[in-house]
Amino acid sequence: MTEPQTPLKPLHPTLYALAEDGHSLDFFFVQCRACGGLSFPANVPGCAHCGDPLADAQKLSRPGGGELLEYVTLHVPLVPGMAAPSIAGDVRIADGIVEEGVICANDETALRPGMALRAVAEVREAQGVYACRFVPVEAKVTP
Amino acid sequence: MNASTRSTGNWLDASGGVYIAGIGLHPYQFPTETPYTQLGLTAVRAALADAGLRWNQVQSAYVGTTSMGMAAGRVMLRHLGSTGLGVTQVENASASGSFAFRQACMEIAAGVSDAVLAVGVDKHGDGRRAANKDGLERLSDTATIPAVKFAMMARTYLRERGASVEEMAGVAVKNHGNAARNPFAQFRKPRTLEQVLASPRVAGDLTVQQCCPRGEGAAAVLLVSGQAIQRMGLDARRCVRVRASVAGSEREERHYGDAAVELVRSSARAAFEQAGIAPTELDLLELHDAFSVEELLYSEAIGVCEAGEGARFLARGDSQIGGRCAINASGGLIGMGHPLGPTGIGQLAELTRQLRGEAEGRQHPQARWGMAHMIGLGSVSIAHVLCAST
Repeated sequence: MTEPQTPLKPLHPTLYALAEDGHSLDFFFVQCRACGGLSFPANVPGCAHCGDPLADAQKLSRPGGGELLEYVTLHVPLVPGMAAPSIAGDVRIADGIVEEGVICANDETALRPGMALRAVAEVREAQGVYACRFVPVEAKVTP
Repeated sequence: MNASTRSTGNWLDASGGVYIAGIGLHPYQFPTETPYTQLGLTAVRAALADAGLRWNQVQSAYVGTTSMGMAAGRVMLRHLGSTGLGVTQVENASASGSFAFRQACMEIAAGVSDAVLAVGVDKHGDGRRAANKDGLERLSDTATIPAVKFAMMARTYLRERGASVEEMAGVAVKNHGNAARNPFAQFRKPRTLEQVLASPRVAGDLTVQQCCPRGEGAAAVLLVSGQAIQRMGLDARRCVRVRASVAGSEREERHYGDAAVELVRSSARAAFEQAGIAPTELDLLELHDAFSVEELLYSEAIGVCEAGEGARFLARGDSQIGGRCAINASGGLIGMGHPLGPTGIGQLAELTRQLRGEAEGRQHPQARWGMAHMIGLGSVSIAHVLCAST
């Protein structure tokens, strides 16, 4: 895979990196040799499905995204520095793996359970990093 | 069938059974400068007086706390006299006190001790969590915040059950009303549905008054073996028997969103089996209503009402004091408060008071069976079933 050219660093380098298109994100998984299941992130100390220690397990990079399962608006900052209101959602990013993510939408009316999302980079120039945001697959994304 | 013959092979029947002989609380309250030792000692002294026990008769103590740091038990209990008793600190998030109580039950049932203290004490801490120290990054900064998880569970519940936001908010109306009648509760004002709904929104459909407050307080219970009740000169009629104690933790989720509910369901089912009763025999149920939707979800999972009936069970008044099964007669976590370490023991103290018929102003009539059910961050679960002495 060709690494995109950018001076920005991922906010969470163990979770994702910029994809070749320069604005989508690839997620890092690890595949268990014992049961074949995927775990996320790739540096987990044990298989999420069978507990295997994942020694020498294969690490995989896949396009970030998944199925939106549920979502709510967070009306107040629940952690320091958090923007509010914002939308949090549970996203099935692979079989058997559900992660909470930040959903980029003007409001909840643009969302519905079951819709496909993809992970894109939210650039934070001042910090020199990019963070992960989920957007509906059909949404236009500005790099 | 009476309580002593309903089930066989119950480890809690050893040593003549395990009984709660004394209860005591320091009221739950918003954070103050009062040292935790004073909170805890108030509760322990009240429990000793309630039981009619002397401190030097207590052979062991389990201290449930989340935020006090190392050695909280000995630092506090030495002020009652350095009798040499065993002191063990237990931390398991919201369920810390419940697990301290379970350890005390096991020590008595094992025949190690005849009189054991379980006390929960906490002050508002810094919220440090192991989940933030596991070396794993997360896609969302709020991934370990319970309010977000339960707001999403609420959204799913309302959609799948066809229930309304107003019906869910009814949990808070009931529990604030119960708390208003509980002198140990953090909130002492009844709230109308309009007030609950108009309070500031936190996450999703959950408003502030549908969320438990943070605070401080203490709760204590003294447990004794059945063999020791007469020998220690205790009033057997005021001793409440522990009929089940079950602990568990979350399994891998089979369907999205069902892990926590399945955990509640399985632990409650095991506790009913151990106690030898059906869920519908419960007169009282104290459960983890840190957020309003939990009471609806768990009342169904525990089985006091049918699946899908949680909101209607509430709306019919079946979960009110005087209803089919009084849920959170104490006011629950939403009304009585949730200081963490004390919360589970406060549930058991409330059930004891009710099963004795001593819950003045909020007594559920003819109460015989009660369950205290807690979950803790992670998630862990724990269920205890208590039975009146007669």
